[in-house]
Amino acid sequence: MEVISQNAVYFVVVAAIMILLFAWAYFTKRIQKDFITMTWVLIPVAIAINLTIGQIVLLLKLPVYLDSIGTVLVGVICGPWAGALTGTLSNIIAGIILDPGWFPWFPVAAAIGATAGVMANLGFFKNWWKVVVTGFIIAIVATIVGTPISIAIFGGISASGSSIITAFLLETGRSLVSSVLTTNFISEPLDKIATSLLAFAIIDGLSARYLARFPRGENAAVEKGQKQTQLIIALVVVVLLILFGIFVLPMLTGG
Amino acid sequence: MNPNRSFFVPVDSPLHRLNPLTKLTFVFAMILPAFLSVPELAPILAIPVFLAAFIGRVQKPYLNLLLKLILPTITFMFVMQSVFLPGGETILFMLGPFDVTQEAMRSAFFTVTRIFVMVSSFALLLLTTHPSELMSDLTQRGLPGQFAYVIISTLQILPQMQAKAQTIIAAQRSRGLDTESTFLKRAGSLVPLVSPLVFGSLAEVEERAIAIEARGFTSKKTKTSLHEISDTSFDKGLRWILVILILASVALRIWLS
Repeated sequence: MEVISQNAVYFVVVAAIMILLFAWAYFTKRIQKDFITMTWVLIPVAIAINLTIGQIVLLLKLPVYLDSIGTVLVGVICGPWAGALTGTLSNIIAGIILDPGWFPWFPVAAAIGATAGVMANLGFFKNWWKVVVTGFIIAIVATIVGTPISIAIFGGISASGSSIITAFLLETGRSLVSSVLTTNFISEPLDKIATSLLAFAIIDGLSARYLARFPRGENAAVEKGQKQTQLIIALVVVVLLILFGIFVLPMLTGG
Repeated sequence: MNPNRSFFVPVDSPLHRLNPLTKLTFVFAMILPAFLSVPELAPILAIPVFLAAFIGRVQKPYLNLLLKLILPTITFMFVMQSVFLPGGETILFMLGPFDVTQEAMRSAFFTVTRIFVMVSSFALLLLTTHPSELMSDLTQRGLPGQFAYVIISTLQILPQMQAKAQTIIAAQRSRGLDTESTFLKRAGSLVPLVSPLVFGSLAEVEERAIAIEARGFTSKKTKTSLHEISDTSFDKGLRWILVILILASVALRIWLS
């Protein structure tokens, strides 16, 4: 009982912060500025891209989901609020047509879109190595948002393939929170970095005239003079951070 | 890939005639108690959902959905969780090197029943309500029309895009694109499959924006609806009863703790 009421407090605090943030952005007209007609028309296309690419990836039997490319795309060129809305509605649509089990995961999808938008506003979506950093940050946010949902609603072990890792970690004596967190931390970065890189490849292929029609088109202005070494260094650093994280996370969560 | 893009079953039944919002309230009156009230309530909540499926005359597709969609998932989850969840003293039996405790099995059972109630009640809503009906009802109640536009137009775009994806896959395969051999080859074939699909769809966005702009998409005036959705006093009463049930179940949890 003790633990549950404490978690309820966390939940209320997080919800209150979200509502305040929304109210602030709404009353300062930051949200309305991003939601022009082009944004509203792009969102359905982005959701369809999410789900269709998700199915192509299943067909190719790749070990990733890549079901948020459209969400990241909207986050970057239409701002974080539009990205969050795309993620949310994407999960609702997937719930309507594929499996209602998608509904509870909508905060993760919303967080992915919002994070992509914030990172793009900070200028971190302009060349390959910065996109790798963005993908890694998105993965961390998705892990933080996804772990409580995974534990509170699905009991920590769901029907996805990565549950095998969770089960293995539990058998080595780790706590449930630590095991789920570590599992997500291992499986998310590959997916989210690949998602961000593909979204960047798409943006790179769009004309500047087309991008300028969107509210945050300037976020996607690709920098010239890219170096491959930078990309490789970024990828190596991310891999090292993941390995480091696998050892540090159990200490942070107490065993 | 199913051409009929929703679970909706068009038959006439008392449940189909209910207002969509009432059915949505029913879904939440099942889910919120299942997660927020005492855990023992969750298995009981499966009964009203089951009965409602018979009232809605969708029992056949409903059971079909349960067997195909929900049962494999929750069986897998139940077994995995009973075996691997930590904690618990009373060991029931050993499964190879793993011990199955009574406590783990109990918590796995309640998690699985909650998920069953959640997924099956949503499935019931989707079987008896067309998404566009729900959206137009919510729009009449004050939800901004743009949300309804996004949901409904996605449901229309999606089959078109999936058909386009099939065409692209077939075309690229006939040109010799490798979609079945080694991992690197399969990963490499992602770009030639994804880029024609994405750029083709994004090119349509601009035209569509102009088209809906010309039809007063952003107009602030209240729009009338061609298709009125009935909301009887029975619906209103039922909604209030369901809301009271939700509150009562949460109160029960607080009272018992």
